[in-house]
Amino acid sequence: MKKMESSSTLGPGGLDISRAFFKPILNSAPPSPTKRHTKISVIGAGNVGMAIAQTILTQDLVDELALVDAKPEKLRGEMLDLQHAAAFLPRTKIHASVDYSITAGSDLCIVTAGARQIPGESRLNLIQRNLALFKLIIPPLAKYSPDCILLIVSNPVDVLTYVAWKLSGFPPNRVIGSGTNLDSSRFRFLLADHLDVNAQDVQAYMVGEHGDSSVALWSSISVGGVPVLSFLERQKIAYEKETLENIRKEVVESAYEVINLKGYTSWAIGYSAANLARSLLRDQRKIHPVSVLATGLYGIDGGDVFLSLPAQLGRSGVMGVANVELTDWEAQQLRNAASTILEVQRQLEIEDH
Amino acid sequence: MKKIESSSTLGPGGLDISRAFFKPILNSAPPSPTKRHTKISVIGAGNVGMAIAQTILTQDLVDELALVDAKPEKLRGEMLDLQHAAAFLPRTKIHASVDYSITAGSDLCIVTAGARQIPGESRLNLIQRNLALFKLIIPPLARYSPDCILLIVSNPVDVLTYVAWKLSGFPPNRVIGSGTNLDSSRFRFLLADHLDVNAQDVQAYMVGEHGDSSVALWSSISVGGVPVLSFLERQKIAYEKETLENIRKEVVESAYEVINLKGYTSWAIGYSAANLARSLLRDQRKIHPVSVLATGLYGIDGGDVFLSLPAQLGRSGVMGVANVELTDWEAQQLRNAATTILEVQSQLEIEDH
Repeated sequence: MKKMESSSTLGPGGLDISRAFFKPILNSAPPSPTKRHTKISVIGAGNVGMAIAQTILTQDLVDELALVDAKPEKLRGEMLDLQHAAAFLPRTKIHASVDYSITAGSDLCIVTAGARQIPGESRLNLIQRNLALFKLIIPPLAKYSPDCILLIVSNPVDVLTYVAWKLSGFPPNRVIGSGTNLDSSRFRFLLADHLDVNAQDVQAYMVGEHGDSSVALWSSISVGGVPVLSFLERQKIAYEKETLENIRKEVVESAYEVINLKGYTSWAIGYSAANLARSLLRDQRKIHPVSVLATGLYGIDGGDVFLSLPAQLGRSGVMGVANVELTDWEAQQLRNAASTILEVQRQLEIEDH
Repeated sequence: MKKIESSSTLGPGGLDISRAFFKPILNSAPPSPTKRHTKISVIGAGNVGMAIAQTILTQDLVDELALVDAKPEKLRGEMLDLQHAAAFLPRTKIHASVDYSITAGSDLCIVTAGARQIPGESRLNLIQRNLALFKLIIPPLARYSPDCILLIVSNPVDVLTYVAWKLSGFPPNRVIGSGTNLDSSRFRFLLADHLDVNAQDVQAYMVGEHGDSSVALWSSISVGGVPVLSFLERQKIAYEKETLENIRKEVVESAYEVINLKGYTSWAIGYSAANLARSLLRDQRKIHPVSVLATGLYGIDGGDVFLSLPAQLGRSGVMGVANVELTDWEAQQLRNAATTILEVQSQLEIEDH
């Protein structure tokens, strides 16, 4: 695919205006090696991938952005559309190719490639379609950027993050799934909208499987530092478990609602992924509910499985999982999700790296 | 269309957690009236409108964002997708309706609604389709926000900005077309990429009609303060007028190239419009090549016509047009464009406001 190079109407043979436009300083040295050149590669130039790429660009997170997709024309069009905004953005190297060599030296690779979730289709039904795709995507990414962090967005994200971990051979702290980071944002939006507070003052994690059986950690939700459930008890406000469950279901449903209304989701996942990228690349050491290797935690055993838990993210990837206290019921829900996922994973043929 | 209100699972009948979550300060007064509540309405929730809306949100330009479209389901889906990012954005009121009353009190209304340019279709061919649409859009916008600035993005932008001016009854400084702001960015990208400089150091305006017959003001292009053409002359580098023209054509072609490759353009126009919104609402007094009432300038007469010229933008809209010196040839190109547009306009039936 044609790389974006200087137009043939400029330069030798055309209008050569580069000659001696600047005078160098006498005895200049080349630039000092810098560790700060940040590169992100986004795999998949669809609605999700492009929303992520554009948000990362707008937030000035990187020096270099590489896009990869299987469709060269769509890919080139998207690359040009971003490059044309040069006058409105800080100078960022933006390039694209169907060839994975363009991802070489990435600090973070974000994988969005995969079949879109059809309205009514549960996330687990997508997996067969996406496993074959990951066998083409993950090994070259790992080869070209052996030190990178892999952030998996494609659904079903928990299983596919496990697949990516296996196919890459990376240590588990460098393979993360976007998980319930967005579900938690939707949850916080719902609560914040009701309480008329800023969503960032609502501490609320949804954990476990991203999707239908996500777990709302009601026991640890707080607003402005006030734990919600104990607040209700002190105020002697009765609540039923069923009501809490309906709120959780509404969060899960809201994703399907967007898909039914506009055909897909893009903007929210774009912000979610850019938010994770910032915590990772800028070593923010913030806690995010993301899909991590959960084996050995909360009694989860029986095999290796990725589930969302509140995890501290920094430049090394997952620094650790927060020691949130779960109720017996919440921990059991996690173990149930793990069992379900392990059953699915057993039926997959993944060659270990 | 259902407004996004507190979920029925929260609040009375559900989980009522809003009661007494905060204690007010004794004898508090209501908020002081503030002039700083900024509201932008975006008309058209397609690829262009949503790219503009999302960029404006990411850049934290507004307190309130309203979206309007004719398709209620698509519109609601897009609104929800933005709202779900609440945890990652500053608190912004985001709402949407097919009813224009939602735009009331806007500081800036950005109109993107209209038929998408089909590959191969010239912009002027779009106009009949869009004139009928504007008769439904512009009068209610003007009625609900009589003091707002109108920014027209729909193509063909120069004719439609004239139409919007007529239909709104607004003074001409408050009706602006996005014009050649993006063409100029593409031009600056091309030059900057060749010269290996930052695009923001390339001062280069394309003016006149946004599209095939835009005019590159070669006589006033400078890089880092060095005027390009006189630089070439001093360096005794020969150039031909045809080479300059080929570069201009490449800029024009690059828009069609993106449309052919990905089906439409979105990201670059999103950044372009957000850039204009910032200059207007933050009273930046920056010069942008945008479509303004050009009658009486550079010998343009024969009727009222909007064309892109370097215009200073601030909170009042167009503060003035920069007194750029054009060559006789460049001025003639502008007058030719004006004549062509006036011919088209004379065939349109627009009721004066």
